[in-house]
Amino acid sequence: MTDSIHVDGATGSRRAPASRVGSHSFMPVVLGAPVLIWQLVFFAAPLAFLLVVTFWKVASFKLEPAFSFDNWTKVLLSGPYQKALVYTAGTASLATLLTVLVALPAAYTIAFRLSPKLRNLAVTCLIVPVFSSYLLRIYAWQIVLSPEGVINSVFKGLGGAGLSLLGGQLALQIGLLTLTLPVAILVLVLAFSGIDRTLIEAAENLGCRRSKVIVHVLLPSIRNAIVLAASTAFILSFGDYVSPLFMTGSNPPTLSILIVDTVKSGSQWPRASVIGITMLAALILVFVAGQLLTRTGKGAQ
Amino acid sequence: MSRILNTRLSRLSQFGFLSLLALFIATPMLIIVVFSFDANRFPTIPWGGFSLQWHQAVLADSMIRDAFVNSVIVGLGTAAIATVLGFAAAYIDYRYFFRGKTLFGLLVAVPPAVPVSILSMAMLAFLSRIGLFGSREAIIVCHVAIATSFAMAIVRLRLGKFSRDLEPAAWNLGASPFATIFFITVPFCRPALFASFFLSAAVSFDEFLIAWFVGGVNETLPVRILNLLQGQVNPKINAIGTMVLIISVALVLIAQRFVGFRATRATSSNG
Repeated sequence: MTDSIHVDGATGSRRAPASRVGSHSFMPVVLGAPVLIWQLVFFAAPLAFLLVVTFWKVASFKLEPAFSFDNWTKVLLSGPYQKALVYTAGTASLATLLTVLVALPAAYTIAFRLSPKLRNLAVTCLIVPVFSSYLLRIYAWQIVLSPEGVINSVFKGLGGAGLSLLGGQLALQIGLLTLTLPVAILVLVLAFSGIDRTLIEAAENLGCRRSKVIVHVLLPSIRNAIVLAASTAFILSFGDYVSPLFMTGSNPPTLSILIVDTVKSGSQWPRASVIGITMLAALILVFVAGQLLTRTGKGAQ
Repeated sequence: MSRILNTRLSRLSQFGFLSLLALFIATPMLIIVVFSFDANRFPTIPWGGFSLQWHQAVLADSMIRDAFVNSVIVGLGTAAIATVLGFAAAYIDYRYFFRGKTLFGLLVAVPPAVPVSILSMAMLAFLSRIGLFGSREAIIVCHVAIATSFAMAIVRLRLGKFSRDLEPAAWNLGASPFATIFFITVPFCRPALFASFFLSAAVSFDEFLIAWFVGGVNETLPVRILNLLQGQVNPKINAIGTMVLIISVALVLIAQRFVGFRATRATSSNG
């Protein structure tokens, strides 16, 4: 690693005395080694181990090293797994679509229609939920939507019948959007804010109506951000555990629910690992597809 | 005439839409806070009158106190280590070129994008193999692996404004690379380092799945909440929730204050 390290942008450093060049090549190792080792041991190694475990066996409730494809065939061919995969992917796709449809106009309004003060306030209000208590916010939605909850008591008070709001795709999507919307809107607000104003003015001076400006100038120039927002929304909702647990009571189960149940309930570690690895593979696929989409975009322009 | 009317209508619907969205984002937080002061056992409308009994019950609950102490220790430990590692990673990305740099960057940046349900299972399996399962330290090392990503992003953003010539100037004047970093680079990054510290603490304070898996009997506050949620309706949840919300929001706001993160843009346009 050391021999191929170059100090970047150092105008005089290449001509520096030999002793200092020595400590310059020492520096990145001292700084980098702890981070590198930490991430390798506590992030990469666990995931690599997960992959290894998929080939292991369980004998009398204990993991035993082996090399068998049993777990893979058992899981991939099982009905509950296939159903959960289809359900999870479908739910995440719907959540992604809804997120983009809501986030785009919202980000547009925040970026172009609010005063600088209000815009900064909006950005703050979006950053805060990204980092605070998703679990609690889903619990709050449960309070709002439950059979004896806030909405239903208002409804009944007005003489209506009770609605069953919890436990369906509606509740689940509300939960997932709680997770995805703030991030997606932030990404798009930043992208909209980075657009060169003269482009818009030029289009308007040439007689373009606002709707045409949006379709032909604004959306194409934030194409990459839209892809980023969409893939983030998909990754978040595909792997989410909290919304399926509390909004639909794990019924039908998503892949994350299957994983946690399998791990917490017993010994079928290898099978849970197979589910985890296939989920990762699916997410990597989605991410790469997104990247390809932005590449071709650049090529076409 | 009709053009002006159209513009007005369009503006009105845009602001209406944004208000609805604000309501959607704010409602869950408000619900937690409002019902934590509700005298009723079950949170619903009509409100049962103002009461502090659930907050008092929370403060008297020794399990919740223990969980709070665990959360604080884990949060501080995570914040301190993640900030140092995040700075190192950002500095390396800023200053050096080497083979495998992209891979190095990915290794630090990617962890938050991996679903925690998978990550927590992997970490539990691995940590119990190497005998680090069931302690606060176990939670800290896992949280650091995730939080370092945010710390690196914040510091790297700051380093983007750091003149590339300052450090070489110091080197030419005879400062060692260590001294240069310590006396020039770190002071320049100070606001970003504070922001990283508070944001990392917020990330750790909010995370429950990994903490639940690798912490064993050491419950952090969100894990305690998760366990309460899986039991019966418990009016204490809103009261703990309010306290947790206040702490998380404060941590994020402090972090944001230090970086002054803004969506800047040029002059306004019409239409």
